[in-house]
Amino acid sequence: MKVPVSIPAIKIGSAGHQVCHPAKEKDMVKIDLPKERPPDWKGAMLKKMAEVLNKYRSVRLFLDICVKCGACADKCQFFLGTGDPKNMPVARADLLRKVYQRYFTLGGKVWGRANESAELNETVLKDWYVYFYQCSQCRRCSVFCPYGIDTAEVTMAAREIMAAAGVATKYVTEVVAKVYDTGNNLGIWAPAWKDNCAFLEEDLKDTEGLDIKFPVDAVGAEVLLIPPSADNFVNTNTMIGYAKIFHAAGISWTTSTYCNEGGNFGLFLNYANLKKINNRIIEAARQLQVKKIYWGE
Amino acid sequence: MATKFLFIYLPYISVGIFILGVLYQFWRWARTPVPLRIVITPAPKTRKGLALRLIGDVLLFPSLFKADKLLWAGGFLFHVFLWLVILRHLRYFLYPVPGWVEAIQTAGLYAGYLIPIPLAFLLARRLIFERTLYISILGDFFALFLLLAISLSGILLQVFFRTYIVDVKALILGLIYFQPAISDYHWLFTLHFVLIMVLLIYFPFGKLMHSGGLFFSSTRNQRANFEERFVNPWDFSVSYNVQNLFPPEKYRETLKGMREGKKE
Repeated sequence: MKVPVSIPAIKIGSAGHQVCHPAKEKDMVKIDLPKERPPDWKGAMLKKMAEVLNKYRSVRLFLDICVKCGACADKCQFFLGTGDPKNMPVARADLLRKVYQRYFTLGGKVWGRANESAELNETVLKDWYVYFYQCSQCRRCSVFCPYGIDTAEVTMAAREIMAAAGVATKYVTEVVAKVYDTGNNLGIWAPAWKDNCAFLEEDLKDTEGLDIKFPVDAVGAEVLLIPPSADNFVNTNTMIGYAKIFHAAGISWTTSTYCNEGGNFGLFLNYANLKKINNRIIEAARQLQVKKIYWGE
Repeated sequence: MATKFLFIYLPYISVGIFILGVLYQFWRWARTPVPLRIVITPAPKTRKGLALRLIGDVLLFPSLFKADKLLWAGGFLFHVFLWLVILRHLRYFLYPVPGWVEAIQTAGLYAGYLIPIPLAFLLARRLIFERTLYISILGDFFALFLLLAISLSGILLQVFFRTYIVDVKALILGLIYFQPAISDYHWLFTLHFVLIMVLLIYFPFGKLMHSGGLFFSSTRNQRANFEERFVNPWDFSVSYNVQNLFPPEKYRETLKGMREGKKE
């Protein structure tokens, strides 16, 4: 078998210093999460963990049935890149698994050593914060697992648990908060979005002599286009491409100033925000009375 | 007294723990809802296709084959040998012995002789590679050593310390029909028997539950029928707080204003 990337020797703690910036208070308030870690953060996290375990069969099952065969170990790009053993999907899930074993399983309570169960404490939390934010939830490991164990599910559960006690990263929380203010991740306000579209119309006329519209908030259009917001900001050729295709196909379309973002950062945080962001797409489609949604990221 | 405990009480206790424990784990998984469709694509669209994929997963471990050929070979051979050995042992549990159990006796015998090889390989693999050693926990070694001890004691019983199997069959049938009949057994048979009881007790509470778990695994037991609506049983509605500057109401007003020709 051809191995395109050599498997690195393990280097314990080699990625441990790569820590995300903590979330800012102002963003946490906007996305309905605790501003800071409460004194009883451990209680809050364990309470959330119990809730997650009772809501997601995947999480409970995946924490239960891993046999540690190591099939996933050399499949994660973060392990291949850093050599940090805690970036092996199995070891990443173990960070949550050992706490789960300690507090939620008979096996872990009766014979903790065999199941490597561990108390939730400051050290464990630090590992969670470092390594659960070094997973991109790409699910590559799940393809190779004989039981389909999907580390993304475990990562999402861990982030949801941490978020419930006010532990999150700025990159994610700031972006989510921006969506509720502006409708997109980049923070493009409605007037700016319209202005960008008008600019692209003019630009297209000047450079190519084409008279193609970039409709914004056009009620009753056939298609609502949800592009990545960057397409109207930096990757404008893509935006021009959409317009040309719609024009050539003769389809009436529109973008919405309420929802102009195909990427959902709620996925990296918790279910409530994931849903709240996705709901904006449906809300925009209803209010604009479109027939179809074209959605890409 | 010790004999009575080991051959009468212990079997009932361990089989009881095994059955109740496995049912308990299945119940824990079954009662937990599945909120999202997280199937690993490409996945079958039909129920028949799904059944075929699951059966294929159980019998052939295709994901593991993609991941690591050597590990696949070790794991696959171990499981095939294990099943042959278990089926061969049915001759102690059934009276009269069905034809198919008789038919696999030879295969089961050789599987029994060979099973330490994949077990030793799986153990060596854990110890040799840095990364597998890192992820291995006591429970992994416990299960491997237990299985190795059971298989080696079984081989010794077959080859050197041959047990009077009429007594063994009387013991097991006696237990099954709640009329225990115990006699004197060689210490090696006692060891073999007790280790299996230990395995049964340990089974539901550790990683060995992977055997039934596959059928509950959302990534493998769902279909790719994305056209059908998937309803989250515990879904809730979300609301905007006062600090969110662009809630749905504001958009409604903006659109209304545009319809009435007002400038925003």
